[in-house]
Parts: sequence; structure tokens; C-alpha cells
Amino acid sequence: MKEEQKKAYKRKYEQAKRKGVKFWPDIIYKDLLVSFGIFILLVGLAAFVGVAVEPKADPSDASYVPRPEWYFLFLFEFLKFVPGKIEWIGTFVLPVLVILVLFALPFLDRNPLRHWKNRLTGISIMGVVVLGMVGLTVRSVLTTPKKEEAVASTIQEKYALGEDLYSVNCVECHGPDGEGGVIAGVEGLEGVDLKSISSRDEIYTRSDETLAAIIDYGQQDQGMPPFGLAYGGELKKSEIDALVMYMRYTWDDRVELPSDAASAGAIPELSAEEIPSYEVHISRLAKRYCISCHRPGKENNNYLMGSYQEMLTSGDNADHNLIPGDLDSYLILAINGQSILDENGEEIIQRMPPTKMMKEEYIHIFEVWVLNGMPETASDAEALTVQGQE
Amino acid sequence: MAQNVYDWLDERLGLQAIYDAILDREVPKVNWWFTLGSASLFLGLMQGITGILLSVYYVPTPDHAYDSITYIMTGVKFGWLILGIHHWGASLLILTAFIHMLRVFFYGAYKYPREVTWITGVMLLIGALGMGFTGYLLPWNQRSYWATTVGTEIAGSVPGIGNIILRILRGGTDLSALTLSRFFSLHIWIFPAILLAVVLTHLYLVIRLGISNIPDEDS
Ligand code: HEC
Ligand code: HEC
Ligand code: HEM
Repeated sequence: MKEEQKKAYKRKYEQAKRKGVKFWPDIIYKDLLVSFGIFILLVGLAAFVGVAVEPKADPSDASYVPRPEWYFLFLFEFLKFVPGKIEWIGTFVLPVLVILVLFALPFLDRNPLRHWKNRLTGISIMGVVVLGMVGLTVRSVLTTPKKEEAVASTIQEKYALGEDLYSVNCVECHGPDGEGGVIAGVEGLEGVDLKSISSRDEIYTRSDETLAAIIDYGQQDQGMPPFGLAYGGELKKSEIDALVMYMRYTWDDRVELPSDAASAGAIPELSAEEIPSYEVHISRLAKRYCISCHRPGKENNNYLMGSYQEMLTSGDNADHNLIPGDLDSYLILAINGQSILDENGEEIIQRMPPTKMMKEEYIHIFEVWVLNGMPETASDAEALTVQGQE
Repeated sequence: MAQNVYDWLDERLGLQAIYDAILDREVPKVNWWFTLGSASLFLGLMQGITGILLSVYYVPTPDHAYDSITYIMTGVKFGWLILGIHHWGASLLILTAFIHMLRVFFYGAYKYPREVTWITGVMLLIGALGMGFTGYLLPWNQRSYWATTVGTEIAGSVPGIGNIILRILRGGTDLSALTLSRFFSLHIWIFPAILLAVVLTHLYLVIRLGISNIPDEDS
């Protein structure tokens, strides 16, 4: 800047000051007002929005979709447009360049004029950059999936998750209520007599940490397989926590489950006239008592019970398993403790579940379901009930 | 009496001179956009105060960080408020500082004689982003863990020295207890110390040079 330009600026500035105000109180009061407003906003955000609860860091869970703080999103999004080979241009060269330009701005911009009308180039460049940043941020928010999966956060969700996980992973060995007993139908452990894991002796003496640790890396010398991701299993930390919570609340009579959570996973009772449906009753029973064996990768005569369709159509004896109205369907016989023999007298299906029979009332639900032609949804079942009454 | 005490102190501390220099100075008439710098300053102060309070309970180790945050949120009286303010304050600070920069740019206030004010300002913005980046890891939850994994990977992609930078940031090849303690000391000692010095310079310059006036069309 030339000397006379500097002088001209100073003259103008002095003029502006003379027409101006005193810092105290004229400027300060505006500043304080804005700061006060911000303070209220902060307290409001803390009170009504709060800080999102996230599960604890789990280095073994690489499926988590990383999301930086929102003010880095634009950069994150921008990098998606940079091809992998020249990634370093996007991650290093450009940011450094931008920072250098920012630092050097007063020296790069030699135009002595200050009003925006006299600096259209500079203002437009800045405008485009800022709009680009905002655009990229919005794009990133819109395109990133909300969350990898719903994280169970309420006690109720966590309890239900724990219950499901227990049925899928543990029932085949430990039984639906952790009661143990002689294992049947599990490779390598056939005939092993398991002690109960739900008795007072057990549950009173095992802390949550111990339980989580046992589930995480198993007790390999005794046949308890590891379930933690890090040890070759398929459960994440948060899932193991949910399992432990389920076990604690169900078996430990010193703690009581909040009542709303208790109802979440319970198997609905069947009233006298009611016809059960897959949706409401059978799916839950299957989940709790059968799915641990009847899922892909297990020995089960290829009979899968993950969905309505699968239950009706899969299995080596699919034609006989579920016959509408027929209590001699293999499934019904099996859950009543009868094994099914082929024409040579060889057992092809043992009683189901092989370990311990279900409670009478649950067997009854299966029977009423089959007698009424195995309705899928609650409304199908209701329609049948109404017909029956007419 | 009060007058006497004041005179006594003034003679020794120079209170009147401070009042004249900082509060009683003439400034051009400006608009509300000029409050954003002091708003950033206020948010910075709040971050400092709430941060110090949080450090009473926070434990910077992978085993305890998450639980100590949970404890602050649920066990400590008004812990949720302190953490909430710190959490949201960080975002607002970045926002206000950025818009403050845009207003400075728009009015050309980075030009003579305020070049150095601008440069210290850029340092403040980078420092604030650094605070955000290092603070994000501290809760040691899934979000912070994986965001930092990716963030440090980005630093690691610098050709040639990337790997070294990555290892310095992480304290090894992977995110670990070392990473957490590094980020923690950056977040509560190193960045704040630098930022404090730069903020004071920034404010000194603002007072020394005076707030710029709103330019008219022929300037
Ligand atoms: C393949 C069969 C098998 C499966 C599946 C299995 N366990 Fe085990 N589990 C065992 C065996 C065998 C032991 C050792 C039992 C013993 O000492 O009597 C054991 C022991 C345990 C113990 C410790 C008992 C003690 O206190 O020493 C717990 C707790 C436990 N299992 C929980 C689980 C949970 C929860 C699951 C589901 C995630 C599960 N197990 C799945 C076979 C299994
Ligand atoms: C401990 C594992 C286990 C559990 C739990 C279990 N099953 Fe099975 N299931 C098997 C095995 C193994 C077979 C294969 C036949 C055999 O070896 O008995 C089988 C076969 C069947 C079959 C015959 C499928 C076909 O097409 O041949 C039916 C039906 C069946 N199970 C129903 C059930 C029902 C209903 C439940 C829950 C109430 C259940 N099972 C629980 C292990 C299990
Ligand atoms: C933590 C961040 C910051 C704080 C606390 C802060 C504080 C302040 C304050 C209180 C003022 C007085 C005028 C006003 O409030 O507008 C000011 C002016 C100024 N700031 Fe900042 N600032 C910060 C960030 C920045 C950034 C990021 C830049 C630019 C890159 C910047 C550049 C300037 C300049 C050039 C002035 C003089 C403007 C004028 O006189 O009109 N500041 N700053």
C-alpha cells in the first residue's frame, strides 16, 4: 500500500471515529446482549437436546460407519470425489493451500478498496467457496446412512435384544432358562451334562464383568465357545452387554426389571377363544426355543425357522412338518416328545427341542395354530376367530 | 471512603489508564455483525470454565473414559449441564468464529493496518478446529473412536512423511491408550496455552488499532 493511500485511510477512519460512539457502554452492551443470548441458547441445547449417548468404543467392530464432527463433514464429503490414487492431493495439498491462502490473504489482495462493490472478484470467490462447503455438508448429512443399526438405548430395547441374542446363541446348550442339563444335538458336546447358569449359586457369584468376559472369550477348556468378535465369535461389545443385562434381570432375584421392559419380550398368553398367529405368538416361541438350532449352518435337517415362509417350506420333510389341521404333523409330534421313525424304524427326527420339552401351554399354542391352518398375521387369525364364532 | 480506596489503588495499578484505553475509547458506529468476535470470546471462556470443571471427573484412559463421561452425565449434580454446554459450545464457537471471519472478509477489515489481526485470527480458527478434533476422541465412544481412526488416517495419507505423522498422532500404529493421553494433553494443555496467547494478541491488536468502520461505496 502506498503512503498516500494509508494516509487517506487513516483520515477516513478518524472521521468515522469522530462520528462514532464510545466502546463503553454503546458497543459493550450489544456484545453482552449477544453473549447472554448465546448463553441461554447453550443451556437450552444442553437441557432439551442434550448429548447423544453412544456405545463405548469397540475397536473390534469395524462395521461402524465413521462420522466426523459436523464441521469436518465438508472435507470428508469432498474426499469422496478425489480418486484414490491422488487422494493425498485432497487430504494434504489442498487443505494446506487453503490455509496458506488464508494466512496470506492481506498480502495477496492488494486492492486498497474495501466496499464489496469494489471487490467483486474476491467476494465471489469467497461466496463460491462458502456455498460449496455448505453444499458438501448438506450432501454428507443426506447421504450418510442414519446409523449402521439401531443401537439399543433404552432398557427395554436392550433387554429385548439380550433375550433374542440369548435364544439364538445360548439356548441349544444352556436351555431356554439357563437351566443346563444334558446336551443333545450339539456337535462335539453330545451328552455333556451342563450345570445351571441361572441358579442363585451361579448368578449371585458372577459379576456382570465376569459374565461378559466368559461370553467374550468363552471357557474353551470346558466347551463354552467364545462369542466376542475379537475371539472369533460374532457378538459385539454392546450385544454382550445386552446379553448380560438380560441374564441379570431374568435370573437374579435381587434386581427387578422395570415393568415396561418386562412386557416387551414376553410371550403373549393365549385366551380361550383366541387363535394364535405366526406374527404374534409362533415367531416369538420359535425365537426363544427353536431358532438356536434352526438357522443356517446348524444341523437341523435343513429346517429353518427364521420366517413364516421358511417354517412352511423348508426342511427335509417339508411335506410332513406342517399340515393344516393335522395334529400328526411332524412338528407337533416332535414337540410333544415323539420321535419320528422312517419305514425301517430308524429315527429321523428326535423330540423337539431335543434338550427339554417346552411348557405345556406353549405346545398348546403350536397345536391350535396348526389346527387353524397356520395363520400368518394377527388379522388373519382374527378373521378365523370371527368365522369360528358365526 | 470508596473514592479513597480507588485513588489508592489507581495510583499503584493505573486503573484510570486501563479504563481510558480499553473502555472509554472512541469507536466507529458499527452493526450487530461486529458482535461475533466477542461472542466467540465469550464461548471460548465458557469452554475454558466448563472444561476445567469436566477435568475434575474425567479420566483419560480407555478403560475409564467412557464410564467417567457416563458418570458425569448421570451421577454428578449438574454434570449433564456442564457437559452439555461444553459439547454444544464447541460447535457454536466454530460457527461464530467462522461467521466472524466472513464478516471481517466482507468489510475488508483484514486490510491495512489490520493484517496481523487477521493472521492471528486464522491461527485462532485452526486452533479451534484442533480443539474440536482432539476433544472429539475423549469420550471414547464408537463415534469418537472411528471418527478419529479415519481422521488420523487422513493425516497419514500425506506422501512421504504421512506414516510418521500418523504414528506421532496415534502414538503407535493403532489407536490406543497412548493416542487418548496424547489427545488429552493436546486438548487441555497444549492447544489452550497457544490459543490463550494468540487470543490475547488478537485482542490487543483489536484495541490498539480500533474496530474498523463500515466502508462506504467510494472506499
Ligand atoms: C456349544 C455349547 C454352548 C453354547 C452355545 C454356549 N455355552 Fe456357555 N457353556 C458351555 C459349556 C460346556 C460351559 C462349561 C459349563 C460348566 O462348567 O458346567 C459353559 C459355561 C458358561 C458359563 C459359565 C458357567 C460358570 O459359571 O462356570 C456362562 C455364564 C455361560 N456359559 C453363558 C453362555 C451364554 C450367555 C451363551 C450364549 C451367548 C452361551 N453360554 C453359549 C457351552 C455352551
Ligand atoms: C438343540 C437344537 C434344536 C432345537 C433347540 C430345536 N431343534 Fe428341531 N431339529 C434339530 C435337529 C438336529 C434336527 C434334525 C433331526 C434330528 O436330528 O432330530 C431337527 C429337526 C426338526 C424338525 C424336522 C425337520 C425336517 O424337515 O426334517 C422339526 C419340525 C423341528 N426340528 C422342529 C423344532 C421346533 C418346533 C423347535 C422349537 C420348539 C425345535 N425344533 C428346536 C435340533 C433342534
Ligand atoms: C476464537 C476465535 C476468535 C476470537 C475470540 C476473536 C475475537 C475478536 C474480537 C473480540 C474482535 C473485535 C471486533 C469484533 O468483535 O468483530 C475481533 C476482530 C477481528 N478479528 Fe477476530 N476473533 C476470533 C477469530 C478470528 C478469525 C478466525 C479471524 C480471521 C481469520 C479473525 C480476524 C479478525 C480481524 C481481522 C479483526 C479486526 C476486525 C475489525 O477491526 O473490524 N478473528 N476478533
